[in-house]
Amino acid sequence: MDPTIKDFEAAIAELEIIVRKLEEGDLALEKSLELYERGVQLSRFCHSRLEEAEKRIEIVNERGELKPAPAALRLPDGDDEP
Amino acid sequence: MSKLPFDDEPPPAPKAAPAPVRTVPMVPKGLVPGASTPVAQARYEFSPKLAAGNPAGEGLTPLPTLPVAPVRQVLTVSELSATIRDALETKFQNVWVEGEISNARLWNTGHLYFTLKDSASQIKGVIFRGALRYLKFKPEDGLRVVARGKISVYDVKGEYQLICEHMEPQGFGPLQVAFEQLKKKLMAEGLFEMARKRPLPALPRRIGLVTSIDGAALRDMVRVLRRRYPNAHLVISPTRVQGEGAAGEVARALKRVARVSHVDVIIVARGGGSLEDLWAFNEEVVARAIAASPVPVISGVGHETDVTIADFVADLRAATPSAAAELVVRRKDEFFAHIDRICERLDAAMGNRLRRFESRLHALEARTGYAGFPGRLAFRGRHVSELASGLRHGVGQSIARRLRRHDLLRRSLDQFDPRHRLGAIRTRLVARDGQLAAAARRRFTAFHGRFGGLAARLGGLSPLAVLGRGYAVTWDAAHTRIIRDASTLRVGDNINVTLERGSLDATITRTHGPND
Repeated sequence: MDPTIKDFEAAIAELEIIVRKLEEGDLALEKSLELYERGVQLSRFCHSRLEEAEKRIEIVNERGELKPAPAALRLPDGDDEP
Repeated sequence: MSKLPFDDEPPPAPKAAPAPVRTVPMVPKGLVPGASTPVAQARYEFSPKLAAGNPAGEGLTPLPTLPVAPVRQVLTVSELSATIRDALETKFQNVWVEGEISNARLWNTGHLYFTLKDSASQIKGVIFRGALRYLKFKPEDGLRVVARGKISVYDVKGEYQLICEHMEPQGFGPLQVAFEQLKKKLMAEGLFEMARKRPLPALPRRIGLVTSIDGAALRDMVRVLRRRYPNAHLVISPTRVQGEGAAGEVARALKRVARVSHVDVIIVARGGGSLEDLWAFNEEVVARAIAASPVPVISGVGHETDVTIADFVADLRAATPSAAAELVVRRKDEFFAHIDRICERLDAAMGNRLRRFESRLHALEARTGYAGFPGRLAFRGRHVSELASGLRHGVGQSIARRLRRHDLLRRSLDQFDPRHRLGAIRTRLVARDGQLAAAARRRFTAFHGRFGGLAARLGGLSPLAVLGRGYAVTWDAAHTRIIRDASTLRVGDNINVTLERGSLDATITRTHGPND
């Protein structure tokens, strides 16, 4: 994971700042390109974050350990999509 | 007060038997206090033995017409007091009394002392620790209550008071009163203030769920979350949500799940029920746990109309468990749409930048040769302006020096030559195209389309598009260097000319200087 990006919120926020700066449009071309590249990098980060979350349901027990949840919960009422 | 009545335990009954009655010719004066006080009235009424010689009770006032008893009956204070105690405690073993609490004070022994009053009278009272524990609400000043208990006399001070065994708030249920009391207390502490509310993470890595493992609330939340955000990672912290001790369990379950790494937000939830069923979420221990949570907490307790203390303390209140699940994370496709909108603006802004730059470039290229220099210099900004002014001042100096300076300038200008920069831009855009193409292969078609379109548009903005308008780029034979100066080539050198469509290999047959 890119160390220059803190988290999803930070990425979205930075992306919005970049877009605004570019839209204001008084930047040197080099700077514009730099920002644009950063923007693309950030948007990719966001997309990968949206995908990477694990599809998982766990239970934390009294000792703070994580165990998989019973299957009944993972497929509530059987209406879960495959 | 150095020692309080009942500070530890009810005082032991004094020597039980009333003192033997001696004959009294007159009623002792000490028994006639200010007749208007309620105490005095009470003593009148409940001192039947003392009034024995005067059945109507009037004899207690030292009236001059008092019939003269043959023998005096003199009591010690203790004897009298014991008699009073006996009378009062016998008659008032179990009374209900209604009034307003004032001067309520909890001693560190755990007993609560108070005064119960109405518009005209008051009576002191106490609730011992043991009885106090069973009250859901806290008896406090101003509260109207109905109290049940017995009257007890404290001989040492000559006082009587109500030993209260049970108390109910008047007009409200005890739970309602407890609710209002805790609400008031926590509000005074600032626990409900908006400034304390933390924003929810936009995209929680893990979502903590504090609720009953087999409740409908959990099933509802899981269903909603999986529909909205299929790959959400949920961590359930099971707890009982009603019954004795449930509040403590909820608080512990909350602390436990908050410690699990990557849990960025927690939902505390319970399905609908009566006020009693939901009571755990009105207890202080739960409120404190929510307030102390290191990550934001959403409350989703009961139905829409149920409001709990937990709701006030939580960073966000949801009407129901399902609503909490709706609030905790946006729909996945909404996320994508949002990012796509930003990317669209990003592309549009960059496109505009490139187009503006391109038109400047064209303005430059419309000028040729040395004549174009002043224009370029002006265009290049302050740094180059300085060089240009240097050039102007150099007029009159030796030609050699001018030439040298000219050469210097040229090299400086070369650095700023937009064509150089466009070359670099192009390289980067090509690289970008490649990256964008890779991105486009990712599995989201919407995003794929977005970046695909972007790649095409960026291609359109590339300097190569300039060639479409009839420009050509001249390269050296190795195709590594763009030829800008005819004097760098000799007759017979091979060059390559890139056109919009295809390219030409050519050989120099003659060169011309800029001033030829």
